[in-house]
Amino acid sequence: MTESVESLERRISQVRTAVREAVLAGDKERASALRRELRQAEQDWDDALAHAQHEEAGRETPGQDRGGAVLAGPASAQGPQAPLLPLREQVHEALSLLTVPAAPRLIATVHEAFFAGTFPSARLTSLKRDEERSFRTAPFARPYYICAALTADLLAPARGLLAISTWPMERRVIGSLSPRVDFLTGAIRVAEAIERLSAPVPAARRLLWRFAASIPGATESAGSMHPHEVTQAALAELAVHQAADQATRQAAARRAREQLDEAQQLFGTRIQLATQARQARGER
Amino acid sequence: MNGTEARLARIRGRALAKTHNARTIAALASNPGCARRAILDAAGVDKQRVAAYAGFPAPFGQSGFALARGNAFEAQVKADGAAELLTLLREHLDLPIPQAHYDDLSEVGGNTSLDLRHARTRTLLARAAGAQTDAGTMFDHPLLRLEVGGRHAFLEPDLIAFQLHGRFTIVEIKSFPVIDGQADGGKVAAAAIQSAVYVLALRDALAEQGLPPEAVSDETILVCPRDFSNRPVATSLDVRKQLTVLRRQLARIARIDDLLDLLPNDLTFDLDPDGDGVPRRSPADLADAIRRVDARYAPECLSSCEMCFFCRDEARGCTAALGQDAREELGGVEHVQTALRLARGGDVPDDLAEAADLLRTAARLRADVLKEAV
Repeated sequence: MTESVESLERRISQVRTAVREAVLAGDKERASALRRELRQAEQDWDDALAHAQHEEAGRETPGQDRGGAVLAGPASAQGPQAPLLPLREQVHEALSLLTVPAAPRLIATVHEAFFAGTFPSARLTSLKRDEERSFRTAPFARPYYICAALTADLLAPARGLLAISTWPMERRVIGSLSPRVDFLTGAIRVAEAIERLSAPVPAARRLLWRFAASIPGATESAGSMHPHEVTQAALAELAVHQAADQATRQAAARRAREQLDEAQQLFGTRIQLATQARQARGER
Repeated sequence: MNGTEARLARIRGRALAKTHNARTIAALASNPGCARRAILDAAGVDKQRVAAYAGFPAPFGQSGFALARGNAFEAQVKADGAAELLTLLREHLDLPIPQAHYDDLSEVGGNTSLDLRHARTRTLLARAAGAQTDAGTMFDHPLLRLEVGGRHAFLEPDLIAFQLHGRFTIVEIKSFPVIDGQADGGKVAAAAIQSAVYVLALRDALAEQGLPPEAVSDETILVCPRDFSNRPVATSLDVRKQLTVLRRQLARIARIDDLLDLLPNDLTFDLDPDGDGVPRRSPADLADAIRRVDARYAPECLSSCEMCFFCRDEARGCTAALGQDAREELGGVEHVQTALRLARGGDVPDDLAEAADLLRTAARLRADVLKEAV
């Protein structure tokens, strides 16, 4: 069943490309015919997926990880509310709350705390790869992509961090101070989100405690923790780091925009050739 | 490839080379006189496999559960830019607030090549040490190099912390608990010698940049879970004693060339695998090859060397197998049989007169005690 979902996805992306080409070429008739075909294919895809999910529900094993393609159904069905959003949209929700690049585990915890749905963080490992493949076949076909954060020095994908493609490059590059700055920013965003909640959510408070325990002056104990105080403490430390971090990030972002192509700006470069060159130099 | 490397490659055979790590160096340093271990390690032989094939499999190595637990704990304290570790370091090293840099050295530009990581580690450490403003505080999984027995081994400490205008400190993360301020003595000792290996390697790396050894603190930091929780707690470990031991023993590990000179040229531990990787060499033949290299068995080997059961079997009847104390007391008497013969009053060679005297006294005492007991 998954086979046919996948082949449908391929067809959808091919048809999308064809639609774009037809529209740009000014061929209205062909474009509208292709659009009909696209709608039909998407309808088939929905049906196939519903069928697959129905089948999966009978089994214990979670559905195959296909990033954006698979509903977050089976894996999270154990929770009381299983969200019907694709995995990539759940990740988008959590990252939009944090507003900084984050590791899969943190993304999963944030989503669990604020969006009442959980997914095993291991499922995110293939997500970035799927997003990259999707981008390379049909660039900018989706409104956003779950992409990599880039290291400030080599503009390579930072290990284990996910980001959103619509963020400014300055936010997606990671200098040596950035992990700390992002940690503090994340803490502030989580504290703000908790203050917006109408009723206390234990999972959200646990999450904030994880942040607060590592921020000097944030709180004495988990019981006496107050979101406002955590925010103040985080802002105080943030003020110390921010200028230096911003300088690094802006310089790196400028470099990234000048030197990298569109796909590389989202998913980073890897130094394969440089290694070989270095080894060659070493041998000489 | 020079002559030594070619010989070592021949000894290893077609198997993939195993490299030294902090554990094996610590184990090697605990028995520096053992030529067998030195040769096997230098050649990168898979000792576990060779021992098992020769008929003496050792129930050795870390359990999968311990590894998973260790990795999970390390991932936890290093999560989110090592937030939990930074808190501990701020308490322990009095790190000022602005020093919160975090550099991940476990890959360079998406590439995990060892040489590349080593080069990058050296660059970043040198930059941190030479900088006037803060340019590096925590270095995650740096890659260092240490010369052991004439060959380089790559070493990967959990973390190096650097305090501006101060010192580098090795941080070791272990998953055994510290309960009420107490931890398992054996495990702490093992962590201390492992940390000492890293201190030595880091001093080597900094010496190449012209920095004095004092740039690396001889107090390392051990991070463990507190009590029965997952919250980390940091403890300072003074490794000066381990450093002295390690330095002396690394120097004593005979240079590998000298050891190779004593061995036949055709020596190899190749298992002669066929196309499917099934060994064709006879186990007895392999065992003969192993016996050609002298071992120095001591009961302590049982906790640190994969060849231990093989060597113990070989050392049966030797006084060395009774332990360090017995061997020292019986200086010069190599076999238990000889010791018994001396005790019973057989012929005494001149050089063993003193030992024979002691043994006879001991035998008389034992006989007296047994007589009274009856």
